[in-house]
Amino acid sequence: MSWLDRLRPGRPESAAHDPAVREALARWQALPAPDLGRPHFDTRYVVVNTEATGLDLESDRLLAVGAIAIDGGVIDPRHSYYAPLDPDPAAALGGLLEFCGKAPLVVFNAGFNRVTLERAWAQWLGVEPEPVWLDLLWLLPAVFDTGPDGPLRLAQWMKAFDIETFQRHHALGDAWAIAQLFIALQGRATVQGIGSARALAELERTRRQFPSPT
Amino acid sequence: MTHTAPELLVGASSDFLKRFSPFDRMEPEALAFLAERAVLAFHPRGSEILTPEMGQPRHFHIIQRGKVQARQSGPAKVTEYSTLTMGPGECFPIGAISAQRPSTNAYVAEEDSFVFQLGVDDFMTLMRISPVFHLFCTQYIASLLNQSRQQLQTTFAQRAAEQQTMTTPLGNLIKQAPVWVTPDTSTRAALEKMAELRIGCIVVADEAQHPMGVLTQSDLLPRVVLPAFDLARPIEEVMTLAPRTLPATASAYDAALEMATHGVRHLLVVDGEGKLTGVVSERDLFSLQRISLRQVRASIEGAADIEALQRAATDIRELALNLIAQGIGAEQLTRFISALNDALTHRIIALALERHDLYGIDYAWLAFGSEGRHEQTLSTDQDNGLIFVCPELVEKEPLKLRLLEFARDVNDDLAACGFPLCKGNIMASNPELCLTPEEWRHRFGKWISEPDPQALLNASIFFDFRVLYGNQRLGDQLRVWLNKTARANSAFQRLMAGNALQVAPPLGRLRDFVLEEDGTVDLKKSGARLFVDAARIFALRTGIGASGTVQRLRQSGVRMGIPADEVAAIVDGFHFIQLLRLRAQHLETRHDAPGDNKVNPDTLNELDRRILKEAFRQARKLQTRLRLDYQL
Repeated sequence: MSWLDRLRPGRPESAAHDPAVREALARWQALPAPDLGRPHFDTRYVVVNTEATGLDLESDRLLAVGAIAIDGGVIDPRHSYYAPLDPDPAAALGGLLEFCGKAPLVVFNAGFNRVTLERAWAQWLGVEPEPVWLDLLWLLPAVFDTGPDGPLRLAQWMKAFDIETFQRHHALGDAWAIAQLFIALQGRATVQGIGSARALAELERTRRQFPSPT
Repeated sequence: MTHTAPELLVGASSDFLKRFSPFDRMEPEALAFLAERAVLAFHPRGSEILTPEMGQPRHFHIIQRGKVQARQSGPAKVTEYSTLTMGPGECFPIGAISAQRPSTNAYVAEEDSFVFQLGVDDFMTLMRISPVFHLFCTQYIASLLNQSRQQLQTTFAQRAAEQQTMTTPLGNLIKQAPVWVTPDTSTRAALEKMAELRIGCIVVADEAQHPMGVLTQSDLLPRVVLPAFDLARPIEEVMTLAPRTLPATASAYDAALEMATHGVRHLLVVDGEGKLTGVVSERDLFSLQRISLRQVRASIEGAADIEALQRAATDIRELALNLIAQGIGAEQLTRFISALNDALTHRIIALALERHDLYGIDYAWLAFGSEGRHEQTLSTDQDNGLIFVCPELVEKEPLKLRLLEFARDVNDDLAACGFPLCKGNIMASNPELCLTPEEWRHRFGKWISEPDPQALLNASIFFDFRVLYGNQRLGDQLRVWLNKTARANSAFQRLMAGNALQVAPPLGRLRDFVLEEDGTVDLKKSGARLFVDAARIFALRTGIGASGTVQRLRQSGVRMGIPADEVAAIVDGFHFIQLLRLRAQHLETRHDAPGDNKVNPDTLNELDRRILKEAFRQARKLQTRLRLDYQL
């Protein structure tokens, strides 16, 4: 198989040709489903983030993926993942999937990140993972109760928390900021009695149904 | 060049850390180690990050963003602050995690805070691999020591301030209710009252207690006794009219001036309405004046007899209190005490030499034990001896008898001045301790070659000798010989080390301290001695001439290649224990109880307790070194 084939979209079966990726997929599939009722400090979350040529789902191309695990409520720099899609998108996405395991995935703006990742996984690996997605775009205003004039975009939230990162608009750089936002959210949510992944997911669903306070 | 994700994140952490001290100076590998292992946690506003109840801290924390308040828990405010707010780059706890004991502060997030945390094992590794970080932590603990000293100063300054000064209002100086009689009282009755109450002066006042006159002891001879005054007659006929009075608000200085101007020894103190409130005497004022170092020294050197020296000995104790109040550290303090005690001993010997003719005898007065080490505290027995040269063709015994008689006088005089006779008879008047250089060498040599337990005990007292009076060279030569002999005998050193290791520092596994049966810690036996014993062995091994523990540690540390900051920490620990001993002895002797070197840790304030524990850890370090060096 030529290197061109790998870059060509629309060939899900291409992953099957790489034994390493295939094994990684098998291992991932064998993982048990997570217990979403466990308290935050006992749950492994993974912040995932993408880097693309732009924000248009139809025309822009995924460049790189980044992920940071949050286990026990802390960010351990050693538990992180970053891979550009070039030259081996299947390896990059397979590695990401293996890193994530079956953990609840935390993103900022699922509308773009989740859709991008789901498409990429289907396209390059031929799989359709169904993790629990947690979207900070919805959860942050819900937990911090910032009201209609509060922060909205990632940059605004970073400013509100005085969070810095080593590189903006970089898959891992932004993931680092999002991870910090997420541990802050965990801390505050715990105090409010929103103590598990399931509770966060429910909060997000309610929030999506009733976007504005009545 | 591409970086892996961990590399990128570790880089972000280390970039952050590098903005703060001490991380900016940290060795690159150590910083990488820290940045790689530090995980980031979040603490919502108001949450407790670390409290004493949580037990031994499991993490070392470095604030990344936000504010954390350190709040002192425990009854006493021991540091300069009771609460302290810390911001980015600051870390906690340092003392608690190094000592592996619960924190004494409670750390609470004052606002939403991101805080790096490093596991306790990684913290220990970091201390080991990073000299910069090690120094940072050591200095932090040293600053605690400093704060404790300041605390000590405050306590004693307060006490000193409570002692009156010349600016004290007279009202505060009056010790007892005024004694007065009415003018029509018979002179006999008034004099009987003076005798009964042992007062030097009686006031005559009207019914409203307004003073009208005064009669003092010095008036009796010219006005009563010599003129054969009829004692049945009223006192108003012999009293001094219109006595000098001062308001209660006047100062002691005013009173002294008034007395000096009018040549009187008593002044009447009256309140705002002229009513008698008390009598102030010249003696009351004199006792206010502080004793200065110079005065004590001068009074020792000028003392003509033992009585004068006894007073000087009391003054030395008094002075020690003042010196502590002035914030002098243990090292200087013990040296001052040692210097003054030396001066006192010198003077006692000089006075004894007026009665004993030792002309032509080549001898030296030796001090042993703590006196030999310049480490006397306030309740030290005498430990002394003599070394003398017996010239050829001279009979030794008569010579020795002369020396012994002289020594007996000196020992007795020292005892009279507050240095108790040694229970073990380690005194120059003991014929066994009045020896020629050959005899001393023989004795020392026997202990070294046959080190039974008694010999080792002896070595721990006598090997700390120094010359206090007489021919210094006799001591120097003995020291050179001793060091050479002991240095060559590693079996002896090893036994000394084994002996020194018999008492472990009283550090507990569950509690802070292992206590004696009476609930105390013996600061001498299981504190200072551990340092002293180790220092002695180091000195013998490295051939150090000094007899003091601190000098021995510093000088032998250089020769043994112990890092200077490590030696400094050990010395600080030793000084702190000595300071606690002095303080305990001083406070106790002020209450007329014997100083016994014991301290109940529960009575110490939080900070002192912490530092005491740290000091014991330093002792443990020393012991570990001995154990390793001698394979024990």
